[in-house]
Amino acid sequence: MAAPSDSERYAVATQWQLTWWRFRRHKLAMVSLVVVVLFYLLAVSADFLATSDPHETDARTSYIAPQPIHLFDDGAFRPYTYGLKGVRDVKTFKLIYTLDTSRKVYVEFFARGYRYSFLGIETDLHLLGLKDAGKGDGIHLLGTDLLGRDLWSRLMVATRVSLTIGLVGVSISLFLGVLLGGVSAIYGGWVDTVIQRGIEVVRSMPTIPLWLGLAAALPNDWSVTQIYFAITIIISLLAWTDLARVVRGKFLSLREEEFVMAAELAGAGQTRIIFHHMLPSFASHIIAAVSLALPAMIISETSLSFLGLGLRPPAISWGILLQDAQNIQTLALAPWLLFSAVPVILVILAFNFLGDGLRDAADPYG
Amino acid sequence: MSTRRRFMAAASAMAAVSASSARALAQAVNNTSQFSASGLVGTLQGPTQSAAIPKTFQEAPQLAALVKAGKLPPVEQRLPSEPMVLQPLESVGRYGGTWRRAFIGPSDGENGNRIMASDKLLFWDYTGSKIVPCVAKAYELSKDGKTTTLFLRKGMKWGDGSPFTADDFVFWYEDMYLNKDIVPSPIAEMSAGGKQGRLVKIDETTVQFQFDNPYFLFPSMLAGDTLIGGGQSVRQSGGNSYGAYAPAHYLKQFMPKYSSEAAVNKLAKDAGYATWVRMLHVKKDWQLNPELPTLGPWRTVKPINTPTWAMERNPYYYTVDTAGNQLPYIDNVVMTLAEDIEVINLRAMAGEYDLQERHIDLSKLPVILENRDRGKYDVHLDLAYNGADTALHINMGHTADPLVGKLLRTADFRRALALGIDRDQMNETFWLGLGTPGSTAPAEAMPESPGPEWRKKWSVLDIKQANAMLDSLGLTKKDGDGYRLRPDNGQRLVIQLLAIKAFMDWPKHAEMIAQHWRKIGIYGDVKEAERGLAFQKIAAGEHHMLVWTNGGTELLYLYPSWALPVDVSQGAYGLDYAKWYASNGALGKKPEDPLLLEALEKLRAAAGMQEAERNKNAQEIWKIMVDQQFHIGTVGQSPALMGVRLASRRLANIPGRACIAQHCRTPGSSHPETWFYKS
Amino acid sequence: MIAFVVRRFLLGLFTVWLISVASFTIIQLPPGDFVDAYIAQLAASGSPVSATEADMLRKLYGLGQPMYVQYGKWISRVVTGDFGESMEWRRPVTEVIGDRIWLTLLLSFAALLITWGLALPIGIYSAVRQYSFGDYAFTLLGFVGIAVPNFLLALIIMYFSFKLFGANVGGLFSSEMTIQPWSWAKAWDLAKHLPLPAVILALAGTAQLIRIMRANLLDELRKPYVVTARAKGLSETRVILKYPVRAALNPFASNIAYLFPFLVSGSVIISIVLGLPTVGPLLVKALVAQDMFLAGTIVLLLGVMTVVGTFISDLVLMWVDPRIRHQMD
Repeated sequence: MAAPSDSERYAVATQWQLTWWRFRRHKLAMVSLVVVVLFYLLAVSADFLATSDPHETDARTSYIAPQPIHLFDDGAFRPYTYGLKGVRDVKTFKLIYTLDTSRKVYVEFFARGYRYSFLGIETDLHLLGLKDAGKGDGIHLLGTDLLGRDLWSRLMVATRVSLTIGLVGVSISLFLGVLLGGVSAIYGGWVDTVIQRGIEVVRSMPTIPLWLGLAAALPNDWSVTQIYFAITIIISLLAWTDLARVVRGKFLSLREEEFVMAAELAGAGQTRIIFHHMLPSFASHIIAAVSLALPAMIISETSLSFLGLGLRPPAISWGILLQDAQNIQTLALAPWLLFSAVPVILVILAFNFLGDGLRDAADPYG
Repeated sequence: MSTRRRFMAAASAMAAVSASSARALAQAVNNTSQFSASGLVGTLQGPTQSAAIPKTFQEAPQLAALVKAGKLPPVEQRLPSEPMVLQPLESVGRYGGTWRRAFIGPSDGENGNRIMASDKLLFWDYTGSKIVPCVAKAYELSKDGKTTTLFLRKGMKWGDGSPFTADDFVFWYEDMYLNKDIVPSPIAEMSAGGKQGRLVKIDETTVQFQFDNPYFLFPSMLAGDTLIGGGQSVRQSGGNSYGAYAPAHYLKQFMPKYSSEAAVNKLAKDAGYATWVRMLHVKKDWQLNPELPTLGPWRTVKPINTPTWAMERNPYYYTVDTAGNQLPYIDNVVMTLAEDIEVINLRAMAGEYDLQERHIDLSKLPVILENRDRGKYDVHLDLAYNGADTALHINMGHTADPLVGKLLRTADFRRALALGIDRDQMNETFWLGLGTPGSTAPAEAMPESPGPEWRKKWSVLDIKQANAMLDSLGLTKKDGDGYRLRPDNGQRLVIQLLAIKAFMDWPKHAEMIAQHWRKIGIYGDVKEAERGLAFQKIAAGEHHMLVWTNGGTELLYLYPSWALPVDVSQGAYGLDYAKWYASNGALGKKPEDPLLLEALEKLRAAAGMQEAERNKNAQEIWKIMVDQQFHIGTVGQSPALMGVRLASRRLANIPGRACIAQHCRTPGSSHPETWFYKS
Repeated sequence: MIAFVVRRFLLGLFTVWLISVASFTIIQLPPGDFVDAYIAQLAASGSPVSATEADMLRKLYGLGQPMYVQYGKWISRVVTGDFGESMEWRRPVTEVIGDRIWLTLLLSFAALLITWGLALPIGIYSAVRQYSFGDYAFTLLGFVGIAVPNFLLALIIMYFSFKLFGANVGGLFSSEMTIQPWSWAKAWDLAKHLPLPAVILALAGTAQLIRIMRANLLDELRKPYVVTARAKGLSETRVILKYPVRAALNPFASNIAYLFPFLVSGSVIISIVLGLPTVGPLLVKALVAQDMFLAGTIVLLLGVMTVVGTFISDLVLMWVDPRIRHQMD
C-alpha cells in the first residue's frame, strides 16, 4: 500500500492530530511549550536543584551579590568559589564583602545537603554542594537576601509552590466553569438566567474586597498547607466566570452543528452526546482558555502576597519573594533580588503564547 | 513661701536623683565606639527652661499685622504674666516657614499629638530624666504624698483668647470624667491604694489632686504620657476624654447639663451625628475640629481626616524664648498623607520633608545616608532606653492548648527559648549593628535598671544549655526533622509566634527566631496577622507569644503594660490576670505563679513609695521578670523606633541627639516650637 | 425593544441588590469588628480603651446586632442617599469618597487614553502585518506589560526616576501644593505628577487590548467583503479603516462596562505603592480597618458603575449593530 498523500492524511486524521500538526507550525508556542515543560520539571526537582537550605538564615551572608562559580582551576575542570569576608562599613552602614582569593572552596556534584523528601523518599542529595565548606560559605548563584538566605534555592522552592497553586487553581475553575457553563447552556431558561446573573455579580464585584474579605476570614491557626489550599480556592472561585462563558458559548454554537444533530437522530442519549461528541470537539478551546487563565492565577497569587494576604512566610512562593524585593533598600542595595521577577515573567509569557498557539490550532479547519 | 520658691523646692528634690542619671545617659552612648565612628549619634541636648522672664515681648510679623489691624490683642496681653521661657538650644531664632512632614492617615494622630506635647501639665526635660513645669508653672507634693497641688500661670489664655483657669479643670473633672456617658469607667491613674482621688479648685490658678492614700508617684504620672497627664491633644482625641482640663467655655454648648438632652441631641442630629456624645467626641478632638481652643504651639486648620493635615501658629501660645519672642518660630506645619512607608522614606530622601523621625525605616539607613546631600538633610540617630525593640511577650494565661499553656508557665521552658536566640545575628541583620542585644531590662543608665548583669541573664546564645533544659523538662523525643515532640500526643510541639508588621518588620524577626530555634528542636510557627486581628486574638488569649516592642517599660510605673499583666486592653500576658490586677482582685483570675504575683504586688505598692525606694522596688521587679523570662528580650536601645531623624539643613536648634521614649513624647521634649529656618 | 430595555434595567437593579448583599456579607466576613480594629490602633499609640468603653462604642455603631438587622438598617439609609459616617475618618462617607473620586476618575481617564492611544494603532498594525518583525516585537512588549507584576514595576520606576532624574516622588501633588486652593499652578503641578502613574496603570491593560484588537481585526480581514473591497481596487488604508476596524471595535464597546471597576481594582496596588490619593487605597484601608459603611459604599459604587456600564454598552451595541437589534425583537 502506498503512503497516503498529505491530503489523505488530513482527511483521516483525528481531531487531536490535526490540532497538534497545526500547533507545531506556531514557533513561539512550541518554544513556550518547551519552557513550560522545563519549568514543571524544575518544580518537581526543586529541592534537588537547591544549593542550600532555603530557610537557613545567617547574618554573615546577608545581602551577598551573585557569586560566579569559577569552572577551571589550573586548567582543569574543577569548579570552585572563593571565600567571602563581610564587614559593615561604619560610615555608610553597608555590608561590604571582599573576596578571599587565598581560599578556594570547591564545588561538588551530587553533594549531601539539607534533608528533604522527594516523592516520599527521604534524601539529602543535591545537584551542587561545597566540599569542606566553612561557616558562612555557600554557592550564591543569584546572591542572598537580607536574612542571608540563598535566592537561587528559594526561587527553586517558590517555583514549585507557585506553579502548583496555578495548576490546582485552574483545575478548580475548570471544573466550576465547565459544570456551570455547561448546565447553563444545556438547560437554558431560568437556570441559564440565574447562572448568567451570578456571573455578572461576581464580575461586578471588585476583586480586592473579595480577596481581602475571604482571606481575612481564614482562621489564623491554620497551617501553611491549609492556607495554601484556601488561597488557591479563593483565587479560582473568582476565575471560573470566563471559562464558564467560553463553555456556554461553545455549547450553544455546537448544538446547532450537524454532527450533534446526527447523533441525536441516531438516538444517542444526552450524556453520550455531551461527553462523546461535544466535549472532545471543543476540548482544545478549553485547554487554550486554561493556559490563558494560569498566568492570571499566578499574578493573583503575587498580588495577594503583596497585600499581606495570600501565602505568608515561612512559606516560599513567587509572591513572597517579590514582596521581599518590594522596598527601597532592595532596589538600592540588593537589586539582584529583583531576579525573582524573571521566572514569573517567563512563565506568564510562555503560558500566554502557548494559549495563543493552542487557540489558533483549535480550529484545525479554519 | 512664694510660689516660685515652692517650685524650686519640689524641683530640686527631683533633681537630686535625676541630674546624675541624666549625665549617665549621655555618657552611656558616647563611650560606645561603633556609634562615635559613624558620627551620627550626637550628645543628648535640647532647650532648657529659664527662670528669668524677659522684660518685653515680640511676635511673628503676621500676628503683629493683626494686632495693628485691631483684630488681635497685643502680645503682652495674650501671654500669661509668667510665661514659660525656653532657652533655645543654639540661638534665638527668626519667624517664618512651613514644616513639611508626613502622616499615614486618620489613625496617625500621635504624629501631631507629640508635636503639641507642651500642652501637658508637667513634662520631662530634654534628657527625659527630670520633671519640669509646663502648662503648670509649679507643683507641690505634700509630705504625706496624699495631695499634689498644681500652680497655673496667671493670665494664661486658650487659643481663642479666653482665660485658662482652674475652672477648666473642674469642668473636666465634674462634667466629663464623672459623666458615665463620656467616661464609662474610672482610670487607674486617678486612684491610690484602690480608691479614686478627687480634683479640687483652690483658687483661680491653683488646683489640687487629693487622694486617700499616699501617691508619691503622681507627679511622674502627670509628667508622663498617661491617661491623666497626657495633655489635651492626646487624651481628648480619638474618642478619649481623659487629661485633666478641657475648654469649658467652648464645650459647654455641646453638653446636656448646660441646656437639655433634647437640645444637644437636636444639635447633633442637625450636624449629622447620631448622638450628642458622638458629636462631643468630634468637637473636643483637636485633630478634627479646627474651632476647638487648645494650648499647644500650633492649632489645626485642615483636619486629620483630609489628605492634608495642616496647622498654623497659636497666637496665644504661652511660651517665649529668652529674648521675649513668642514661640513657635515656624508658622505652619503641613503633613501630607502617604499611605505607604516606602513612599514616605523615598520622599524624605528627596528632601520633601523638613524634619521626620516618625515612619522612617532603620533598614533603609544606608540609602538614606547616600542621599543626604541630594535631599539636603542631616541624619541623627537617637537611641532608645528600653531593653528590647523586639521582645517575645509570653501568654502565661494560655489555656486553649493545655500542654503549651503549661510549658509557657514553666520558667525553664521560657529560659531555654531565650537561650536559643542568636541576638548578635538579629542585631546585625535588622538593626545594622546599631542595637544592643540582651534581655528586656532597660538601659543601665536608667534609674530603674537592675544592673548590667541582668541585661545578659538568660539572654546570650547557649544552645547546649537550652537543649539540656528542654531535655530535663521531658521533651526528649524528636521527629525526623529534629523537632521535639509533645509528650501528650506524640505530635510535633509547635510554638506560635504572633507577629504584626508595624513599627518594624516583626514577622521577619520572628522568622529568624524560628530558624534559631531549629537548633534547640523547637518548631516556631510564625503567624503574621494584621494589627486589628492580632490584638483580637490576644484579647481572646489564643496566642502563645506576641512579637512586639517593650517601649515605655524603661519607666516601669508609667508604662507597665508591656512588662506585666496589668492592662486589660494592652499587653499579651493573659487577659484574665490583667483583669484580676486592674479590678483589685474582683474579676479575672489570680496568677498561679508566685513570682508573677510578687512582681504585681510590688508594682501596686509603688504608688505610695518615695522616689529612691520606688527605684529600688522597680529594680527588684526587673530582677524577677528577667530571671523568670516573662518576656524574652532580643535587641534594644536602638534608633529603630522613631530614632532615625532626618532634619533639613535649613533648620536650626536641632539637637544632636534627642530623647526617644514614650514619656519624652518624641520629638516633644525637644520643643519643636524652638526650631527655626535659617533662611 | 422597549420591553428589552425595561427588562435589562430591572435585571440591572436586581444585580445591584445582589451586589449590595454580597458586599455587606464580605465586609462582615473577617472575625471581629471595627471596634476591635480601633482598640488595636489606640493600644498601639498608647491609649488603652476599657472593655466598658468598647461596649459603648459598639452600641453607638450598632455593631452588636445580627447581620441582617445591620444590613437592613444600612440599606434603608442608603436608599435615601444617607451612606453613613466613616468610622475611621469620622466624616460622612460621601465626603471621604468625594475627596478622592475626581482624582480617581482623572487618573483612570488618563490611563484609559494612554491605553487606547497605544493599543489601537499597535493592534491594527499587528493584525495587518501579521507575523512581521513589528508584530512580534509589539506583541512581546505588550505581554511583558502583562507579565511584570505592576506593583514591582511601579516601585522600580518611581525609585529610578527619583535616583536618575530627580523626579517627583509619588503622589499627585507636591507637598507645597496640597494645601493651596485650585489654580493654574496647581493644575500644572498635577499635570506633572499624572503621567507616571497613568502610564504604569495603562501598561497592564494595553497588552490585553492589543491582543483583542489584533484578533478581532484578523477575523474581520478574512471575511469575504474585505476580499471584495480589495478586488475592487480600494486603497489598502481605506479597505482596513472603512469597515473592518469599525467592526473590530464592537467588542470594545461591550468591554467598557468592566473598565472602570478594573481600573479602580487594578489601580489599588499601584496607588498604594505610588502613594496616590485615590479611591483604591481608601478601599483597602477601609476593609482592613473594617470600616463597614465606607467599604460597603465603595464596593456598592463600583458594582453600580459596572451594572450601569453594562446597561449602557448594551444600548450602544444595539445602536451600532443592527444584527443585535434584530435579535432582541
